[in-house]
Amino acid sequence: MTASLLWKRVWRHKVFYLFMLPGIVWFFIFSYVPLFGIQVAFRDYTFSGGFTGSPWAGLKYFQQFFDFYKSEEIIRNTIIISFLKLAIGFPMPILLAILLNEVGSLKFKKTVQTLSYLPYFVSWIVVVTLMQRLLTPFGGPLNEALSLFGLEPIQFLYNPSWFYQVIVGSDIWKNIGWNSIIYMAAIAGIDQQLYEAAKIDGAGRFRQIWHVTLPGVRNIAIILFILSIGSLMSAGYEQLLLLSGPPTASIGSVLDVHVITSGIGEGRLSYAAAVGLFQSVIGLILILTVNRIARKVSDVSLF
Amino acid sequence: MKRHLSIFTLLNYLILALVGFSMVYPFIYILAYSLNDGKDSMMGALYFLPRQWTLENYAQVFEDARIWQAYKITLLRTVLGTFLHVALSTLMAYALSKKSLPGRSFFSFYIFLPTIFSAGFIPFFITLQKLHLINTFWVYVIPMLFSFMHIVIIRTFLQGIPEELEESAHIDGYGDFQIFIRIILPLSGPVLATISLFIGVAHWNDWFTGAYYVSDKDLKPVQTLLQEMLTQAEAFSSSQQRAAQQGGQTIGSSVSGSTPESLRMALLVITVFPILCVYPFLQRYFVKGVMIGSVKG
Repeated sequence: MTASLLWKRVWRHKVFYLFMLPGIVWFFIFSYVPLFGIQVAFRDYTFSGGFTGSPWAGLKYFQQFFDFYKSEEIIRNTIIISFLKLAIGFPMPILLAILLNEVGSLKFKKTVQTLSYLPYFVSWIVVVTLMQRLLTPFGGPLNEALSLFGLEPIQFLYNPSWFYQVIVGSDIWKNIGWNSIIYMAAIAGIDQQLYEAAKIDGAGRFRQIWHVTLPGVRNIAIILFILSIGSLMSAGYEQLLLLSGPPTASIGSVLDVHVITSGIGEGRLSYAAAVGLFQSVIGLILILTVNRIARKVSDVSLF
Repeated sequence: MKRHLSIFTLLNYLILALVGFSMVYPFIYILAYSLNDGKDSMMGALYFLPRQWTLENYAQVFEDARIWQAYKITLLRTVLGTFLHVALSTLMAYALSKKSLPGRSFFSFYIFLPTIFSAGFIPFFITLQKLHLINTFWVYVIPMLFSFMHIVIIRTFLQGIPEELEESAHIDGYGDFQIFIRIILPLSGPVLATISLFIGVAHWNDWFTGAYYVSDKDLKPVQTLLQEMLTQAEAFSSSQQRAAQQGGQTIGSSVSGSTPESLRMALLVITVFPILCVYPFLQRYFVKGVMIGSVKG
């Protein structure tokens, strides 16, 4: 009885299952098959053997990675770069949103907002080409402006002493506007009466920001922070593939790029899959840990 | 107190004006560079406006058959990829927005699960290999057909459409597919525009697929071409540096004409221009899309 009722309901929705069919197949092929294929990290992958037919290799490729004399350096670089991006880059969109919120002129606010989204919409290729042009010591506008102040031209790109500044700075430049959208929305959702009440209590502008605006963005900031901790083991492959070269390799080689160059570049697929799996597992552990801490300390968590 | 406030306001406007300027200045500069005589640009001191106006750089870029071919690939993948992505995602999102659909939560979880733990590059790459997508045009389109986040954004939007509309259409004898085409789609303009922008930009900007999954020169999109030029320019710059250190003269004998750099800037402008024309007009919509995406995701 219930089975036939369920069947009737399913049959009535047959068109909707048809609507979902391409998606179900696609997610199976492009998400679940690769998940199943993680096992190549434990096998000696050959093209003819594929995911399941290649001989088992145990932990050989994990061993190979940890024995690699640069593995410690690569892990350290990844964490340092991600950490710097997080520590400096994470508060920036919040700051931008707060500053924008304090602006009276709607037209000015709108203009700055629109301009700030611009870098998000161009590719890293475009960003790096722009940087090459603007920062070059050979007639680049920034170095020319610096020379007006009597400073020597600086080689900014592919220079170890400017590497972190360039990486973190370009990351902020590209994403600050886009990432501020969500904070702008959170601030717009704050009850205006709270500001009125704060004013009556004699709070100036800074104290209003501190006691009303910041608590208003707190929850969303915590959630986004947990999410970014989860990607602490990936430093951003597009940016680092393009902005790190041989001169900066000792501080700029990171896990993501190592996976791509050793796997797709050199064809060491099992080895690269093992490095990638190590990266994913650490990421998962990090996100679960931070989520747990956040739930204990602040009652806000992802799951 | 009053005075203190106005200093803050002034400072705030100043900081934000600087932020806005820093976002747009690089684009103004490359526009000026691309419209200036290439050899002349090498002398520097170019800031906002071209000194020796010329369209020569653009003329040369458009003469290059390789660039036409790359532009064709970019356009084709963007148009086809965006259309298919939006159409198929909307179909799926519409089905998932039906509260009465048996198995709805199962299918929602089915598409959510891979976002928690992804397999990583290599298993994905092997999958592409096994599907014989490597080094074909379809490697640009098929792996980007769906995205969990986009489906969620569309579904959330569709759930806001009153069910009575569909019920009355049912009574009028419309089938499910007709309702989708005649009732749901015409009401979904804002969300479809948002998703089209998101996925369109992703297609337009993707250089990685062209660089790592495609070796056929005729299949490279513009962004990959730019990436190849980037690598060349790096080599060029270091040879220039060496020459400068040796006190050598690097500027060619003639005083005007295009340089690889000025051509590159012209190509950059052509690549960025379409996006700059579109995104400001969709701002109202995508802001909403981002909010749904980050709240639900």
